[in-house]
Amino acid sequence: MSIQTLSFNQLKQIALQREAFIYYIFFFVLLFFAVLLHDTAFLTLSNFMNIVKQTAPLTIMAVGLTFALAVGHIDLSIGSVVALSALVGALLLQHTGIPLAVIGALLVGVTVGLINGLLIERLQVSSLLITLGTMGIVTGIARQLTNLESVPIINQDFTFFFGSGKVLGMPILLFWTVVIGGCAYIILNKLSAGRHLLAVGGNPFAARAMGIKVTRVRLYALIASSTAAALAGLLYAGRLHGARYTLGEADLLTVIAAVAIGGTSLFGGRACIIGAILGSWLMGIINNGLILSGFSTNEQMIARGIILVMAVAIGVKELRHG
Amino acid sequence: MTLPSYFHDYKNDSFTKKSITLAAIVLVTFFTPPVPAVDFNSVANAAKSENVQLSQQQIASLKKKNLTAALVWHGSSAWVSAVTQGAKESFSLLGIKVVAVTDAQFDPAKQVADLENISILKPDIILSLSVDSISTKASYRSAIEHGAKLVLLSNPIEGFVHHQDYVGIVTDDMFGMGIAAAQLTAKALSSSGKLGIIYHDAKYFITNNRDQAFRETLRLTPQIDIVSEKGFVKEHETSNIAAAMVLQHPEIEAIYVSWDSAAEGVIEALRSLDRPDIKVITHDLGVSNLLDMATSGNLYGTIADRPYEIGATMAKLGAAAVLGQSAAEVTIVPFDKVTKNNITLAWQQAFKKPLPKLLTQALQR
Amino acid sequence: MVRSALDQVALELASITKSFGGVHALQGVTFTINKGEVVGLLGDNGAGKSTLVKCISGIHAPDSGEIKVNGNAVFINSPEDARAVGIETVFQDLAMIPEFNIVQNLFLNREIKHKNPLLRWLGWLDTKAMTKRARKSLNRLNTRIPSYKEQIHNLSGGQRQAIAIARAVNWGADIVIMDEPTAALGVEQSAQVNDLIKIISSQGVAVLLISHNMQHVVETCDRAVVLYQGRSVADVAVAEVTKEDLVGLITGAKKIAA
Repeated sequence: MSIQTLSFNQLKQIALQREAFIYYIFFFVLLFFAVLLHDTAFLTLSNFMNIVKQTAPLTIMAVGLTFALAVGHIDLSIGSVVALSALVGALLLQHTGIPLAVIGALLVGVTVGLINGLLIERLQVSSLLITLGTMGIVTGIARQLTNLESVPIINQDFTFFFGSGKVLGMPILLFWTVVIGGCAYIILNKLSAGRHLLAVGGNPFAARAMGIKVTRVRLYALIASSTAAALAGLLYAGRLHGARYTLGEADLLTVIAAVAIGGTSLFGGRACIIGAILGSWLMGIINNGLILSGFSTNEQMIARGIILVMAVAIGVKELRHG
Repeated sequence: MTLPSYFHDYKNDSFTKKSITLAAIVLVTFFTPPVPAVDFNSVANAAKSENVQLSQQQIASLKKKNLTAALVWHGSSAWVSAVTQGAKESFSLLGIKVVAVTDAQFDPAKQVADLENISILKPDIILSLSVDSISTKASYRSAIEHGAKLVLLSNPIEGFVHHQDYVGIVTDDMFGMGIAAAQLTAKALSSSGKLGIIYHDAKYFITNNRDQAFRETLRLTPQIDIVSEKGFVKEHETSNIAAAMVLQHPEIEAIYVSWDSAAEGVIEALRSLDRPDIKVITHDLGVSNLLDMATSGNLYGTIADRPYEIGATMAKLGAAAVLGQSAAEVTIVPFDKVTKNNITLAWQQAFKKPLPKLLTQALQR
Repeated sequence: MVRSALDQVALELASITKSFGGVHALQGVTFTINKGEVVGLLGDNGAGKSTLVKCISGIHAPDSGEIKVNGNAVFINSPEDARAVGIETVFQDLAMIPEFNIVQNLFLNREIKHKNPLLRWLGWLDTKAMTKRARKSLNRLNTRIPSYKEQIHNLSGGQRQAIAIARAVNWGADIVIMDEPTAALGVEQSAQVNDLIKIISSQGVAVLLISHNMQHVVETCDRAVVLYQGRSVADVAVAEVTKEDLVGLITGAKKIAA
């Protein structure tokens, strides 16, 4: 549907959709910091590029998790996949070139996703429990793999492509975000594959009755989720010029919060890629803004919580009265 | 560098870790800085923090400059807070505004982001402890590109050149602390007796050096007999280790433990074995163990560093660097031997804060 | 045996049996439905109605017996098989995705793809074409829908039923099975559904209607087949029997040779 053909009522309807929530929050938080930090460099392009760079791995994870949530699964193993894929990529880079290292790292994601999916479907156990288990296993393997040592990366082409590079003056991490986000958006909104993902999440019985191969669709969604996490691991490795077992460890809850605030249902059937991206940028903006406001670290944590609750409250109010 | 500041946070991180089922197999070492920090020679030749002073003229000209500073820390703890307080108070005397304080939560990715964020504020001085010298290097580089003076705490950054890239490193006198712990032990045993050692069995620069200096100094007192030496990796193991050690060697008269929160387990074990006679010697200040010491329990003495002074020294070095004054590569901050009679003084020396009420009450009794 | 005006058999079931472990759910079900005919499938709870529906719509495979569609024997092992031979089922829960809009539900798993071969290969959706087709097929059923972009959970029960029926007919089904289509509906909406059933049967579609509601069966069906303990025990022209007769057959109090 094109913008020109929208009537006022349709616009109003779109504005009231659950998915529109994130736009209000995003705008509110941005305005809040813009006013609070008007005398600093908060509202500058380079600061926003910083935020985009910092949140790129988070954004990719959020986009991947959106696929798992779309079919009604949660994937708790993504944080651990980030660490393992980064380590595998970094170790392979010591022996081979970039293509093999990247393939190896992404294979970590594919494998974990496949195992998650097969276990969930075969055992008919909730994804929460299965991925909690694989999270432990993958974390353990990541720790074991290098004996908790970090693995440096000296390949400058790698750190260019996956971290510090710039294309046309824009950080390459922005391109990664846009490309992965764009592909995910097209899949979910424009292709039949996305339709089937959401159908499986919305009503698996109906989807099965209509002939959709529910098991297979769920499997693909989990593979997408952990492969995205594996890519996030490479981006971390590229950005940090090395990998270590702690990567991604603290990201899981942030990613879930970002995706949920972005309008994706945690119970399947509703997914919003733009919301997931804006949600993770929002987390980055809050973090950045609070540091720039000179709070102590404890105050930052309190303020972060207050801002999130206030943002959600205001967003909900907008939805009711808008 | 005291250990609780590292380890308290390390145990408490995300719930990811708690669910790790294989942890038992893989807990081998704590993270190790890939580059060894300052070595023995640089500490031996280091400048002393008490010699870092600014003249009235320097202070006056600093006040005119309206400078800003950012503190980029590795984690949070009472120890880090004391460093922050020392830095902030020294900066404020110089008219320098602290515009940001960050906590990387031991996550290099977070520290890289923190450095990028504070760079936007273009601070004139950055005080920092690097979580991982490889990953954070590029971000430090871009943070100092605008001319910020970088003062480091404990860990150097690989490839950074003194004077050119950073002002200097401020650190504890870890060798001195190990030597002092040995002297305190000798005093506790009146220079002869049976000793047990519970040491940090992981590749960790600061604890390793401290423990090593302790052992070497102890050799000078041959009448002290080390009857048992056992290592630990995680703090919670020390209780069981101490219990086993005392059961095996009931003749033990004193135990040395690598740091305060690890000593908590040892003291707990000695209490449950009903061995108030065994004396414990360790490093750092912790309220629980000081309470034990105040009530004449097992803790005989501890070696405490001065986090407040570390922060203050870093601040002064950074400010002096803005005025073009250069600093030694390493500046060491002194420590205190703490026993029951000087708890109050040592606490105030370390944290520049009054002693917690509970401790004051215990001492008065 | 009573026949309707169009004497062409659309669906023929012969001696269908199905057991689950020791439970003999179906023990020989035999009947036929002609084109354009509406046949009510009656029976008490546990008589085997839903098992039979599942056997015809491909969710279960029957143990033995024969299913013929338009005179040809067919093997139905999956919902796709059923659909391929022209059998569409309107499930009791309507098999709708609540978050999807009307068009998305109508074309679920049968989306119209883009004309460009590359985009088509990717599975790119042609929303315009689907909206157009949706309008056409709903018009064919005289159903008025406020907006095709409306999500299903914002529609009334009758409207949802209409969409489910439209979806079945949309795919050129010869045989439509409806499982309790009016169970959750009010009087007015039930009447609308009855009208829909008449419209599609007048277009030559054979309808198998599963219902508890005698009134509904009497109003819409040409014939009624009664299942009792897994067997088809009666096959009567609705016009020739009373409601009480049907109730007697369902409860087993009354018997007629099938």
